[in-house]
Amino acid sequence: MTVDVQYYVLLSMAVFCIGLFGVLTRRNALLFLMSVELMLNAANINLIAFAFYHGNLTGQLFALFTMALAAAEVAVGLGIILVLYRNFRDVDVTVPTTMRW
Amino acid sequence: MMIEALIAVALIGALVTFVAPNRIAGKLAFVISLVPAALSLWLFAAFDGSGNALLDGELAFESQAAWLEIGDHSISWFVGLDGISLPLVVLTTILCTLAIVSSWTPIDDRESQFYGLILFIEANLIGVFSALDFFLWFVFWEAVLIPMYLLIGIWGGPRRKYAAIKFFVYTNVASLVMFGSFIALVFGLGDSVTSFALPEIATAMRNGGLDGLFGLGGPALASVVFIGMFLGFAVKVPIVPFHTWLPDAHVEAPTPASVLLAGVLLKMGTYALLRFNFTMFPEQVEAYAIPIAAIAVISVIYGAMLALAQTDLKRIVAYSSVSSMGYVILGLVAYTTFGVGGATFQMVSHGLISGLMFMAVGVIYNATHTRMVTDMSGMADRMPIAVGILIAGAFGYMGLPLMSGFYGEFTIFFGTFGSELLDYSPLFTSLAMFGIVIVAGYLLFALQRTVFGPYRLETDYEVSRAPVHDIASMGVLLGLIILLGVAPALIFDMITDAIEPIIGGGL
Amino acid sequence: MAATATGPFGFAPAIAVFPLVAFVITLVFGRHLPKKGALPGILATAGSLVVSLVMFAAVAGGDEHHTTLYEWTSGAATSETMVEGIEFTFGILIDPLSALMLVIVSLVALLVHVFSLGYMNAEGETGLRRYYAELGLFTFSMLAFVFADNLLMAFMFFELVGLCSYLLIGFWFRTESAPSAAKKAFLVTRFGDYFFLIGVVAIAATFGTVGFAGEESFITAAETAIEDGTTLFGFDAETWVTITGLLVLGGVLGKSAQFPFHTWLPDAMEGPTTVSALIHAATMVAAGVYLVARMFGYYALSPTALAIIAFVGGFTALFAATMAVVKDDIKQVLAYSTISQYGYMMLGLGVGGYVAGVFHLMNHAFFKALLFLGAGAVIILMHHEQDMWEMGGLKDKAPVTYYTFLAGALALAGIVPFSGFWSKDEVLFDALAVGLEQPVILAAYAMGLLAVFFTGFYTFRMVFLTFHGEPRSEAAEDPHSVGWAVKVPLLALGTLAAVAGFVNLAPVAELLHADITFLEFWLDGEYGAVEGLTYHAYHETVAFEEGVIGSETTTMLLSAGLSLGLALAGAFTAHTLYNVPDPSRHTTKLGGAYRVLKSNYYQDEYQVWLAEGLTLPLARAADRFDQTVIDGVVNGTSTISLFGSDRLKRIQTGIVTNYAALLVGGFIGLLLVLGYLGGWFA
Repeated sequence: MTVDVQYYVLLSMAVFCIGLFGVLTRRNALLFLMSVELMLNAANINLIAFAFYHGNLTGQLFALFTMALAAAEVAVGLGIILVLYRNFRDVDVTVPTTMRW
Repeated sequence: MMIEALIAVALIGALVTFVAPNRIAGKLAFVISLVPAALSLWLFAAFDGSGNALLDGELAFESQAAWLEIGDHSISWFVGLDGISLPLVVLTTILCTLAIVSSWTPIDDRESQFYGLILFIEANLIGVFSALDFFLWFVFWEAVLIPMYLLIGIWGGPRRKYAAIKFFVYTNVASLVMFGSFIALVFGLGDSVTSFALPEIATAMRNGGLDGLFGLGGPALASVVFIGMFLGFAVKVPIVPFHTWLPDAHVEAPTPASVLLAGVLLKMGTYALLRFNFTMFPEQVEAYAIPIAAIAVISVIYGAMLALAQTDLKRIVAYSSVSSMGYVILGLVAYTTFGVGGATFQMVSHGLISGLMFMAVGVIYNATHTRMVTDMSGMADRMPIAVGILIAGAFGYMGLPLMSGFYGEFTIFFGTFGSELLDYSPLFTSLAMFGIVIVAGYLLFALQRTVFGPYRLETDYEVSRAPVHDIASMGVLLGLIILLGVAPALIFDMITDAIEPIIGGGL
Repeated sequence: MAATATGPFGFAPAIAVFPLVAFVITLVFGRHLPKKGALPGILATAGSLVVSLVMFAAVAGGDEHHTTLYEWTSGAATSETMVEGIEFTFGILIDPLSALMLVIVSLVALLVHVFSLGYMNAEGETGLRRYYAELGLFTFSMLAFVFADNLLMAFMFFELVGLCSYLLIGFWFRTESAPSAAKKAFLVTRFGDYFFLIGVVAIAATFGTVGFAGEESFITAAETAIEDGTTLFGFDAETWVTITGLLVLGGVLGKSAQFPFHTWLPDAMEGPTTVSALIHAATMVAAGVYLVARMFGYYALSPTALAIIAFVGGFTALFAATMAVVKDDIKQVLAYSTISQYGYMMLGLGVGGYVAGVFHLMNHAFFKALLFLGAGAVIILMHHEQDMWEMGGLKDKAPVTYYTFLAGALALAGIVPFSGFWSKDEVLFDALAVGLEQPVILAAYAMGLLAVFFTGFYTFRMVFLTFHGEPRSEAAEDPHSVGWAVKVPLLALGTLAAVAGFVNLAPVAELLHADITFLEFWLDGEYGAVEGLTYHAYHETVAFEEGVIGSETTTMLLSAGLSLGLALAGAFTAHTLYNVPDPSRHTTKLGGAYRVLKSNYYQDEYQVWLAEGLTLPLARAADRFDQTVIDGVVNGTSTISLFGSDRLKRIQTGIVTNYAALLVGGFIGLLLVLGYLGGWFA
C-alpha cells in the first residue's frame, strides 16, 4: 500500500510552516535554530517523496546532501549561539543588533 | 604593430616608473615619454592612410587579432589610424611629455606613482584614439578614468576628494548611458553585423541596416540611441548643462593633470561624438541639428559668461574650455567639410592652447601659491618670459590670427555659416561668434589684474623667474600653436580627407 | 613662386618681411644690440621704405602686381552663389592705392623709429627691447595688411595690428592706467571686429571667394549677383551686399575710432607718444579707413551703406571736434582731432569721393605723425608734463619744434596752402555735390563743415597755449633740449605737411583747366592699376546723383571759401581768447555744455556701464545660477541617493527575525506576481 504523493507534500508544508512560524516568532536562538532545521527537513521530505514518486534516486541523494549540510549548519549555528551567549549573557536574537550598518 | 608599440612603451614605462625610486621618477618618466612622442611623430610622417577609418577608408598602421566571441558577435583587438585620430594621438603624446616636465616643480610627494599614472593615462589615451573595436575602445575609454581619478584624488587641492568622486561618478554614469545605448544599437542591427568592429557597424548603419528592438521601429530606435549616446558623450565634452564637474576637477587637479584633462580628456568626448553620433547617424544629425546647434551656442556664450565671473585663474580657463568645446559642437553639427574639419582642428588646437594656459597658470601658482586674481598684480615684473608666453597663449585663446585657435574658429564659423543641413545657420554662427568678444573680455581683464600693474602679492613667497624647463615646455607648445596657425594644412588636409566620406557618402 | 617672375615686384614680400625679421632679431638678441635694439627696426623700416618706393616707381611705370604667395587652406565648400570649393590664401596686391599706402606707412614707421631714439632711448626708459620688438611687429602687421590681396588676409593682419597696439599702449605696464587703456582699446576694437569677422565669413560663404581684385574677387561676384537678381541667404543681392558691407564696416568703425567705438582712442594716449604717432597716423586707426578704400568697389554697390558711412563720418567729425575744444592735455587734443579727421575721410569715401578720402588719409598721415612727434618733442621739452596750462612761451626756446608743429597745425586746421586744406576741401566739396541731391548727405556735409570751425579753434588753442604767451611753469621756463633724432623726423614731416597737398590741387586745376590733379590720375589708373579698382570704375558704380550751385566751378569755390573762412574764424577766435601773455580758461562761457564736453558726452560712462554695470552682474548671476541650480541638480542627485540609501538601510535592523519576515514576505510577493502573470487568478 502506498501513500499518495500529495500527503507527503501536505506533511512537508505543515512542517515547513511550523518552522517558519518558529523563525518569525521565537526570540530564543536555540528555538530559532531548531525552526530552521524543521524547514530544512520539510524540504527533505519533499525531495524524498518526489524521488519515490518519480522512481529515481536523485532526490534521495540530494536529501543526503542536505542532511550533511544541516549538520554542518547546526555546528556553526551552535557555535554562534555559544559566542552570542558569551558576549550578551543571553540567547535572545533581538539583543545583538550592532552588526547592521 | 606601431600602435601596439606605442601603447606598450607607455604601459611598460608606467610599470617601470611605478617601481623606480621617487628621486629619479620624474626624469625617468620624461625620458620614457620621449619614445612615444618620437614614435607618434614618426607615425605622422609615415602616415599613408586615406579616407575615414569607419567608412571604408585606407587605415594606416592597422592591425587586428581575434579576442573573444560573445554570442553571434566577435570582439577583436583592432587598431588603426586615419586623418582624424592621428593628430589626436600626436597631441596626446606631446602633451603627456610636456605635462611630465611641468610636474617637476609642483609634485614632491610619491613621485614614482604620480609619473607612473601619467604614463598609464597616456597608454589608454592612445588606445582610445586608435581602437576601432567598440569593446576595446570602451576598455580604454573607461581605463582613462582611473588614473585621472587618482591624480586628482591624491595630488589635488583641498577639496580633491569631492572633485575626484564627482568627476568619476559623473563621467562613469554617462559612460553607462552611452554603453547601454550602443549595445541596443548593436542588437538593433541584428544579423547585419557579426562583430563589434566600428567600421562594420558604421557601414551597416549607413546602409540602413537598423531593425527595430523592444517594439521600437528602426528610425525610432536610431533616435533613442542617438540621444542616449549624445548625452553620454555630452558629459565628457562637456556641454552645458553637464559641465559642472569640469571646473571642480580642474581647480583641484594638480597642474599636469589639468593639462591632460583639458588638453586631451575633453577631446575624447568630441572625438567620440564625431566617430559615433556624427558618423553613424547622418539622418538623426539632420533631425536634431537645431537643438544641438542651440546647445552649442548656449555652451559658448554661457561658458564664456561664467568665465567672466570667476576670480580663480584655473576656473577661468576651465570655463573657457566649456566655451571652446561649444564651437566644436557647432562645427560638427554644421556637417560641412569646413565645419567638421574645423571642429576636429579645433580639438587639437584647443588641446595645445588650453594646455599652455594651464601650464602658465601652474607656473604662476608654483611661484605664488595662489591662483586668485585678487591676490596678485604685476607678475610681469618678476617673471617676464613666463608672463610673455602666458599673454601669447591668452591671445591664442582669443583667436588671434596666425595662431591655431583662429584657424579652428574661422573654419568652424565659415563651415557653419553656409551649412545646408542646419537651418538658420547664419544666425547660430553670428550668435556663437560673440564668444570671441567675451573671451577677450575675461582674459584681458584677468591679465590686466594679475600680470600688469604695480607688483603686489598677498602670499608670503619670493617670486623669481620661472624655471627653464617650464619655459621650455611652454615654448614648445607656443611654437606648435603658431606653426599650426601659419601652416594649418599640415593636419587640416588629412583631417578633411577623413571628413569627406562622413559628409559626402550615405546621405 | 609666381612672384619671382615679375621684375621688381619679386621683392614685394620683403616690405613686410624686413620688419618681421627685425622683430625676431630684437626679441631674441635685443639685450646685446647697441641702442637697445633700435637699429634692426630702423634698418628694416628703411629697407621697407626703399622697396616700397621701388614698388611705387614700378606702378608709376604702368605696372601692377597681384600674386598669391601661399595657400593657407582650401577645401570643399559650396557657396551661396554655387561656386564650388574655396581657397584662403596669402597674396600681394600692389596697385596705386596700396603702393601709396606702403610708402606712407613705411615712411612714418621709419621716422617714428628714429624719433624713438630721442624720445625713448635718450630718456633712459627700460624695456626698450620689448618696445622695439613690438614696434617691428606692428609695422610688419600693418604693411602686410596694406598689401593684402584678400579680405581674410586683411582681417588677419587687422587683428595683429590690434594686438600690437594692445601691447604698445600697455607698454608702461607697471602703472594702473596703461594696462587698463590697452585692454579697453583691444576690447572696443574687438567688438567692432566681431562684426567684421561675421562679414568676412558671410562674404566667403556667399561668394566663395574673398579676393579684392580680378575676376575672382567678391566685388565682381557681388556685381554679377546684383545684376542677375540672385537671392542670397533669403535677401535680394543688394540688401545682402549692404548687410555684409555694414558688418565689415563694424571693424572699420572700431579701428578707425568712429562713433560709437571712438572711446578707446583717447585712453590709448597712455602709450608712449611715439606709439600714438604711429597708431594715429599710419597704422591702427588708418587701417580702418584704408580697408574701406581697399574694398570700395563693394561699398559702391550699396548706396545705403555709403550713406551710412558718410553720415557716421560727418557726425564723428563734428562730435569729436567739439570734445577736443575743452581738453587740457596736449595729447588728448590730438587724440580727438584724429577721431574727427578720420570722420572726414569716412565722409569723403561715403559720398563716393574715393580720391578725396585717400588724399586726406595721406595728408593726415603726414601732419598727424608730425603733430604727435611734435607733441612728443614738447613733452621732452617740458620734462614729461602734458598739461597745456603748464606750458607757454616755448616758441622762442624751441624754434624747430615750434615751426614744424605750426606747419602741422596749419595743415590740420585746413589753412591754405597747407596739405590739410586741399584734401579736406575736396572731401567737403564732394559731400556738398552729393548733398545737394541727397538730404542725408547734406546733413553729413553740414556737420563736417561746422567741424571745420571747431578744428581751427582747438588746433590754434593748442598752439597758442603751448608755444605762445609767457611760460606758466618752471619746466616751461627751462626746457630740456632735444637732439637730432627728434629734429630730423620733425623737419621731414613738416616739409611733407606743408607741400603734400600739391599732388592734387583740384580747385586750382578747375580754375586753370590744368591737368595737375596727380593723385586723381594716380588712383584712376593713368599709370598702372588693376582693372576695376580705379576711381573711374568706382565712380560709375556709385549710384549718387551730383548737384551743383550755379556751375561746378562756383560750387567748388563756394565750398572752398566756406571751409577756409570757417577754419580762419576758428583760428581767429582762438587767437583772441588764448594768444595773450596770460590766457585764462574761458570755460564758464560754455555753461552747462562744458560739463558735457568735458565728460565726452558720457560716452565712456555708458560703455563702462555696459561692461561693468550690465555684463558683469549678468555674468555673476549666471555664475550663481550655475553654482546653485545646475550644480545643485548634480549635487542634488548625489544627495538624494545618499539620503535615499540612508533611509533604505534602516530595513537592516540587525534583528534576525525581521530579515526572515522580509524573506518570507518577498517570497510571497514574488509568488503572487508570478502567479498573476501566469494567469492563476484569471
